[in-house]
Amino acid sequence: MKRRTLLTGATAALATTPLARPHAQKAVTIRWWYHFDDPKATPDALIAAFEKTNPGIHVEAENIPWGGGGDYDNRLYTSLIAGNGPDVAMVKFVNQARLLEMEALLPLDTWIDAWPGKSDISNDVWRLHMGPDGKRYYLPLQYVVLYLYVRQDWLAQKNLKLPTTFPDFLAAAEATTGDNRWGFGLRGGSGGHDFWATFVLGNGAKIAKGGLTSPQALAANQWFIDLYRAHHVCPPSAPTDAFLQTINNMKAGRTAMTIHHIGSANELTAALGDAITAVPVPRGTNGPGWATYGDGSSAVFAASKNREAAWKWAAYLSTSATNVAFNKLSGQVTVTTSGAANWDVQPKRFIEATTNSLPMAQVLPNLPQTADFTRTVWPQTTQRALLGQISPDDMMRTFDKLFFA
Amino acid sequence: MLTPALAATTFLVLIPVVETLWMSLHNVILFRPRSAPFVGLANYAHALADPVFWSSLGNSVIWVGGAVSLQFGLGLGTALLLNRSFAWRGIARALVVVPWALPSVIIGLIWTWMLDFNLGVLNEIGVRLGLLSAPIAWLAQPDTAMAAVILAVVWQGFPFFAVTLLAGMQAIPFDLYEAAALDGAGPFLRFRYVTLPGLAEVIATTLLLRMIWVANSLDLIFVMTGGGPGTATQTLPLHAFLTAWSGGNYGEGSALAVIFTLILLSVVVIHVRRTHRQ
Repeated sequence: MKRRTLLTGATAALATTPLARPHAQKAVTIRWWYHFDDPKATPDALIAAFEKTNPGIHVEAENIPWGGGGDYDNRLYTSLIAGNGPDVAMVKFVNQARLLEMEALLPLDTWIDAWPGKSDISNDVWRLHMGPDGKRYYLPLQYVVLYLYVRQDWLAQKNLKLPTTFPDFLAAAEATTGDNRWGFGLRGGSGGHDFWATFVLGNGAKIAKGGLTSPQALAANQWFIDLYRAHHVCPPSAPTDAFLQTINNMKAGRTAMTIHHIGSANELTAALGDAITAVPVPRGTNGPGWATYGDGSSAVFAASKNREAAWKWAAYLSTSATNVAFNKLSGQVTVTTSGAANWDVQPKRFIEATTNSLPMAQVLPNLPQTADFTRTVWPQTTQRALLGQISPDDMMRTFDKLFFA
Repeated sequence: MLTPALAATTFLVLIPVVETLWMSLHNVILFRPRSAPFVGLANYAHALADPVFWSSLGNSVIWVGGAVSLQFGLGLGTALLLNRSFAWRGIARALVVVPWALPSVIIGLIWTWMLDFNLGVLNEIGVRLGLLSAPIAWLAQPDTAMAAVILAVVWQGFPFFAVTLLAGMQAIPFDLYEAAALDGAGPFLRFRYVTLPGLAEVIATTLLLRMIWVANSLDLIFVMTGGGPGTATQTLPLHAFLTAWSGGNYGEGSALAVIFTLILLSVVVIHVRRTHRQ
């Protein structure tokens, strides 16, 4: 064979091999776990748009039942332990400590610092997303901040201003109690720890060694329990009232104030119109104030074999227009500053109350006991204190024992 | 031929039981998967030393005793009524099964809203009829919460007794009733000396089964009160569930489950021995 023919033939042969082609990206599939409150909401359009701009990545979305959070979390833990976990998932702060103990999370700092969308999320939000070791394991995805809903028409009838301090709050609650109405819809059931945090952790108590049994902490907790036991500004059902009961009591015109977030704003406005408004929760004199930050984040898991692809999907969901579209599905608020400027899903006064609450926004400490505290220990112990079965001081000692015994 | 049944029993019963026993002897924390040291009977000792164990056990006794006795009473009465002839008996027999057919979660939600302090229909009717001077927070007070959840489970469970006892009644030969009537026995004596003895075995079996089912059930209580207020309606199975599901402590949760199983097994053993003697 002539040399030229040999060379030509060899070149042609090589050109057909994979070595000769520019490196073609192998298509990867990433598994993403999520939950939306609205069962009709679906992320299909978001996924389709992402896959169009990222042709090498296929997103396999799995809607995991929430079950109050416990079901979602337990399924996540067991799937990760079994080696069958997702690549990326929606997560909450309450399970970060447990996921870290399992060594399940990947630090995201390198990606976050190189991410163009970083500056579109406020410093307050980034502050709250810092992990216990100073690394960032969670990418902000959605949020709410708990604020105080107020029947401003009832307060106006009594010539009272919207409360900003604890004395204002108590005065308003007492003035609007009577005639089968109560000033404050206290939540002693599931999720009520957010109420307690506002009045107790925000007024001098701390979930730290000695911080729950200091004189200031005990006094703050006594004040909180006295709302029900001494001042009688809460419905008799308050010890076991949970989300539905407190919101329905408000809608039915039975309570003047309660604490929740922007997710219920449209429902309350539909029932009460302009009579309902919201303000940041009142601030006590002894502490920094506490408005519970209701988080929702994305985490990429250490066991993922497609980390880069998983990060790209997580970052996509947290980027301006996509994040706005995502939160219209989730019923929460966009974490992006650019998205918040034009956010019109709820009336403006509730958006303002949310953003005005951000400087006071706090989260419970990242400890392995936190999930058990919020789900079981807090409701059981607080209900006993509200019913007089144990003293408020014993209630705080129970919490102290859970975290620091 | 027995292989499929043996395989099913092994996978669905034997393996989970053995795994539970293993976990009860180890410190199994869900979010510490790499460490599950053997601790012997420490989980059992810790569970038994916890005052919540004893209050939960007491609640279980009240829950089972109250629920099963009321279900039986209402079911027996219903069976006696459905055993009579009346025009719409067929429809009545079909409708009586409805509570039994509904999922426990739905029943729990229905009763939670019926008993709601502000918006519940039972308070509304009670106040309007003058039976109540003011609405009662049924699920928020320890004195009434257990009664409220028992009411819901009685409504759910009485059809089981109604249907089973009705079937038992229909197996009693009519001749015995005729003979008793000829001897001058009125309705009560016929019930006492013909119906009840004829139903004795059915009653014993249904009571045992229902006692085990009610004792183990936690879904209705979980939906209605979560075991609250405080721990006023927390039964032992719910305590075991929360220890594992909320606390992540599967070791101690398993120990609690084993303890409760042994308690129930002792009742079963007594029943089997009694049956053998007869």
